[in-house]
Amino acid sequence: MTTDRLPDRRTGLIGGLLLWFGVLGGALAWTVHALAAWSIDELACAAGSSEVAGMPLRYVIGMTVLIPAAAAVAALAVTCLAWRRTEPGRAGRWRTSQDAGSPRAGTVGHALGRARMLALVGLASNLLFLTIIVLGGVATLVFPPCQR
Amino acid sequence: MSTVAELPAGAGPAPAEQLAARWEEPRTVRAWFTTVDHKRIGRRYLVTASVFFGLAGVSAILLRTQLAGPEAGLLSPQEYNQLFSMHGTAMIFLFATPMLFGFGNFLVPLMIGARDMAFPRLNAFGYWVFLFAGVFMWASLPAGAAPNGGWFAYVPLTDEVNSPGLHLDVYTLGLLFLGISTTAGAINFIVTALKLRAPGMSLNRVPIFVWAIVATSFMVLFALPALNLDNGLLFLDRRFGTHFFDPEAGGNVLLWQHLFWIFGHPDVYIIVMPALGIVSAVLPAFCRRGLVAYPLVVLGVVSISIISFGVWAHHMFATGLPQLSLSFFSAASSIITIPSGLQLFAWLTTMLLGRLVMRAPLLFVIGFIVTFVIGGFTGAMFALTAFDQQVTDSYFVVAHFHYVLFGGAVFPILAAVYFWLPKITGRMFSERLARWAFWLIFIGMNVTFFPMHLSGLFGMPRRVYTYPEGLGWDPWNLLATLGSYILAVGLLLVVVGVVHALRRGKPAADDPWGGDTLEWATTSPPAPYNFPVLPEVHSLHPVWDPRTAESVAAGAPEARTLAEGRQTIRTSELDARYEQPIEMPESSLRPLVAATGLLVVFGGLLFDWYWVAAGGGLLLALTMVGWLWPPAEPT
Ligand code: HEM
Ligand SMILES: [Cu+2]
Repeated sequence: MTTDRLPDRRTGLIGGLLLWFGVLGGALAWTVHALAAWSIDELACAAGSSEVAGMPLRYVIGMTVLIPAAAAVAALAVTCLAWRRTEPGRAGRWRTSQDAGSPRAGTVGHALGRARMLALVGLASNLLFLTIIVLGGVATLVFPPCQR
Repeated sequence: MSTVAELPAGAGPAPAEQLAARWEEPRTVRAWFTTVDHKRIGRRYLVTASVFFGLAGVSAILLRTQLAGPEAGLLSPQEYNQLFSMHGTAMIFLFATPMLFGFGNFLVPLMIGARDMAFPRLNAFGYWVFLFAGVFMWASLPAGAAPNGGWFAYVPLTDEVNSPGLHLDVYTLGLLFLGISTTAGAINFIVTALKLRAPGMSLNRVPIFVWAIVATSFMVLFALPALNLDNGLLFLDRRFGTHFFDPEAGGNVLLWQHLFWIFGHPDVYIIVMPALGIVSAVLPAFCRRGLVAYPLVVLGVVSISIISFGVWAHHMFATGLPQLSLSFFSAASSIITIPSGLQLFAWLTTMLLGRLVMRAPLLFVIGFIVTFVIGGFTGAMFALTAFDQQVTDSYFVVAHFHYVLFGGAVFPILAAVYFWLPKITGRMFSERLARWAFWLIFIGMNVTFFPMHLSGLFGMPRRVYTYPEGLGWDPWNLLATLGSYILAVGLLLVVVGVVHALRRGKPAADDPWGGDTLEWATTSPPAPYNFPVLPEVHSLHPVWDPRTAESVAAGAPEARTLAEGRQTIRTSELDARYEQPIEMPESSLRPLVAATGLLVVFGGLLFDWYWVAAGGGLLLALTMVGWLWPPAEPT
């Protein structure tokens, strides 16, 4: 990535790893949840056991719901923060102290516009993925793990 | 091959002439085989995929004719099996994906303001491989050796005991062969869209169609290995006696289904996603306003491409997996309607807020919306496991996925054909012919596939070559067959319309519809170098934005003219900041030779001629060495 150093503190999030966590975190969390919950359930039931490493299967699957859900919530919080920090000024344009007159005038606004869009996309996608994880969690309360 | 014009010393040519000389596409036989121009390659993809569509369509007409009445004798059971397998396989792999890749090839560099794809020779290679793989598969049909295990070829029906002969070898090898082309194309799209965007086209200014092609390409890269693995294992099982899918020797039959659907479900979106991108490209031109809620549409594209990977097991509700693990897939399967719905609402709002201009491409978009919504609706019904159990492998399923695939791919593709025909050929089409085609297709499509819901609910299973009288299926089948004839006439009218446009069409203006993306800023058809000056982008709608037009007007800096060589601009991935000019390759025969080597490899494998296969491999390897050998530095 070749994002320039941005001078302004409030833009510290932009282009950084944290923003990417915000954008992709929910998706990643759900992927981990789906694969872990599904494969643990499948494998344990196929082996005819109702425990994994001494813990009841139900609790293990519960963890594959709770931990990813927590990660998705964290990603959601990051995108909320990024969304608020990238708010444009009153004229609808992004200005920073460096902007006026510099040869790179406009490039900061550029990065802010992109970051704000990513933040919005992440905000919505984290909500979406969190919902899927929670729905999966509801199912663990309703079905006994190995019922066919 | 382009040549540098010899010029008298001191008399520098105008940049335009210099560019033309540098990017010249001579009309020679050799140039026909060696071209690496993304526009010519894109056109070839479109034409070739259309031919395969025609073949698959003729197969479908034969199937429907056989099913028109009970106890018909047009096709034998063996012929029926091969025809529906080839129909399904070809529609998915040889028509839908390559057709959309064809549009991607033609349009992505134009839309992002570049002069070619990132790897033009790889692009040419991908086309030749696609062509050869398609011919490889279709050639098996007249020989009576075509795949006969359906498009998803479930093991154990397809192992060497239950399916002797070459049929399934053609399927496994053909798809592996084709996969090389699709993978190469996907990598090329990703790099092109990330690195060659015109300066200023930051992520929030990338056209939705390009987003869709990139998301699709990522899906291809993640999904296709599962299919390749599946086919590789099946080939080994059949030819070399391994037991990956053989439960008697510790193998697992469900393994095929898991791997197949890990590929297969995303594949539905691999097909539909670029089509959704087409819709988002067509609408603004005919609504006279930008697409509403751009970031949310991007969200739809990105999140659908992710979710579609997590729901493969919804094709396997009938296989006796635990309820709980199925529920993880159920949740995601139904939630995918949210991002799809988001896109739908963005389109509807755009139409509501804009001033609609009713032309043929818009008609096809509306046809798409209607059909796709019906297909999505019956799809949501499957997420109810109980209903799914009831209709699995009945004609209800056939009806549902044709609504999704025909609605989700064919209508948008036809919209795209009419929308970009002026740009691709430089000719306008006849609106009257196009409207006739639309209505015949729309009516024919519904008359063909709607009755299948009913025959399915009344218990008609899919993949039967005939059925006895008096089960209540007869009228619906007859109706469906009549519908398919109407549909065929409509599709033929599209061909007539294109030929008519090429022969008689009025010359097209550069921007006949008033579109907002950069391809409309070039001539129709575009010059080999696409843009005399590479634009600088200032908004999501560069063509509607005076600052972008200014950036290519007189006095544009040399850094964006690049008339010195065969060059385009490299920019940064996120914000598209200018990095440096990069050299594009000249045309070359090597892509064709390499693809021929591959054809020999796969032909050799098919017929057990392993020495021939090795020879093909050697040819491929030598060509690759020459291809990758660093060129001598000019001094
Ligand atoms: C052009 C009009 C079309 C007609 C009349 C038609 C007709 C049919 C029929 C009758 C079958 C059922 C065969 C059987 O189960 O016995 C079928 C299967 C299928 N069709 Fe189509 N189809 C058409 C277009 C398409 C398109 C555009 C696609 C995809 C892009 C497609 C994909 C498939 C697939 C995947 C199958 C399943 C094959 C299998 O069961 O293995 N069809 N089609
Ligand atoms: Cu699916």
